[in-house]
Amino acid sequence: MAVLVLVVWSVEATIIADTEWDRIGSVSQVIESTLRFFAVDWSILRSLVKPALETLMIACLGTLLGVITCIPVAWFGALNITPFKPITYPLARFMMTLSRSIHEIVWALIFVAGVGLGSFAGVLAIAMRSVGFIAKMASEAIEDIDKEQVEAIRAVGGNGVQVVRYAILPQVLPVVIGVIIFEWEINIRRSAVLGLVGAGGLGLAFFRQMNTFNYPGVTTVILAILALILLGEVLSYFSRRAVI
Amino acid sequence: MNAQTNSLSSQGAPREWRRFHFPRDFVRWGALLGVLVFLAWTTEYLGIPLERFVTMWPKLFGVFTNRYYPPDINYVLDHDYLASVVDTIQMAYLGMLFGVLAAIPLAWFAAFNMSPNRFVIYPAGRFVLMCARAVHETIWTILFVTILGFGMLAGVLALTVFCIGFAGKLFAEEIEAIDPGPVEAMRATGANQIQVMLYGVWPQVRVAFTGIAIYTWDVAFRAATVVGFFGAGGMGWYLKRNVYQIESERVAAILLSIIALVMVSEIVSAWARARVAKAK
Repeated sequence: MAVLVLVVWSVEATIIADTEWDRIGSVSQVIESTLRFFAVDWSILRSLVKPALETLMIACLGTLLGVITCIPVAWFGALNITPFKPITYPLARFMMTLSRSIHEIVWALIFVAGVGLGSFAGVLAIAMRSVGFIAKMASEAIEDIDKEQVEAIRAVGGNGVQVVRYAILPQVLPVVIGVIIFEWEINIRRSAVLGLVGAGGLGLAFFRQMNTFNYPGVTTVILAILALILLGEVLSYFSRRAVI
Repeated sequence: MNAQTNSLSSQGAPREWRRFHFPRDFVRWGALLGVLVFLAWTTEYLGIPLERFVTMWPKLFGVFTNRYYPPDINYVLDHDYLASVVDTIQMAYLGMLFGVLAAIPLAWFAAFNMSPNRFVIYPAGRFVLMCARAVHETIWTILFVTILGFGMLAGVLALTVFCIGFAGKLFAEEIEAIDPGPVEAMRATGANQIQVMLYGVWPQVRVAFTGIAIYTWDVAFRAATVVGFFGAGGMGWYLKRNVYQIESERVAAILLSIIALVMVSEIVSAWARARVAKAK
């Protein structure tokens, strides 16, 4: 009952009160404006190759940077190896939440303001957005490791670095690489829209086609994004099979 | 890798222990090298200034302290802005509701074990879910805004499509993981597809679906904070206005309010999911 009231109230406020119905016009006009998108402008296809490559590259570099940044965060955020529990553990948890809770568009806005327009801001935004998820999964994997292997390395006189290299890393690496590939796939999706706020790639091409009211061109860009994502899915399928 | 160890053990122990295995390690290190070369080329191609990873920090810090500090807190406590927060919550709520309602049949179609028809309906369901998920929510927003004009209707529809993609995939995975026993029992007594779904599958996935729906709301709220940036109402609209007017102190305040709200929504959804899991 409460749910129903909430639905009615929300529908009232968002859909009925906030929409200018006479500007949308009749159903046929809506259909007509939708149909404008159902055409493909092949002539811009050649000019999309470079932005598509850029989008892919932003996703790759962003993921790499995110992985590098997540090493200390995952180290601080895993309860069993965190160096100083009262400070470093909450700090890392806070960073993970912060990174995951801010939308990539907002991150891109922050970095475009900080380092200027271009793909560098996009790379930083993607990296910041993906740190949280990778670090969270990695630190959970570290918390679940088999302790006896750590003790075995310690018992034969291994130091801290050797414990990490021979006891912790082999146990968490398969999980973490799976997570990284998954995140990379999502990052392609994200980097395809960062151009909307000035961070390069296919988003910028989309923005241009939209602003020149070239609706078939918009469809072409969306198809290009879909093709790129499909490529990412195929690549991630094969690389995941190769790793795991 | 597991397959390899298994095949080795089935043939007995290898004759001699070697640190490197010729074809396997060659391929592996070669792939790694290839990835590294690609990344280096990428850095070169995009013109990423590597030295700026060191030099950008003072500048970033300067930008934040000069322009974004102190955040204009009074701006976000303003009545209009708070009303837009309520709008955002309503949009996320409706988007989640419509999305989840539409995702349940789609998930049924796209779950391999339960799909009514494996050759037509299963690929169709998969395809719809993939399209909904592959296109980013901001692009959906822009498309709906172009067709329907500015306003929250476009936002609700964009969030609906986003939630269909997000919840549909998780729902389908959940249906694929059910225990087939009750389903077979139902089929044996002559139940039709819909009866199997209602009495054989639904009771098994009900709790998991509730949890996923709550999580979807959380994710939809995160997305709803920015759909307004592209003209679909809510807080994003304020964000866009102030970004373009270079009112940096207000932007800082809005960003802080978004972070705070998202954290609150995350805590609420974690609490609600824990309660649902306990009620099981």
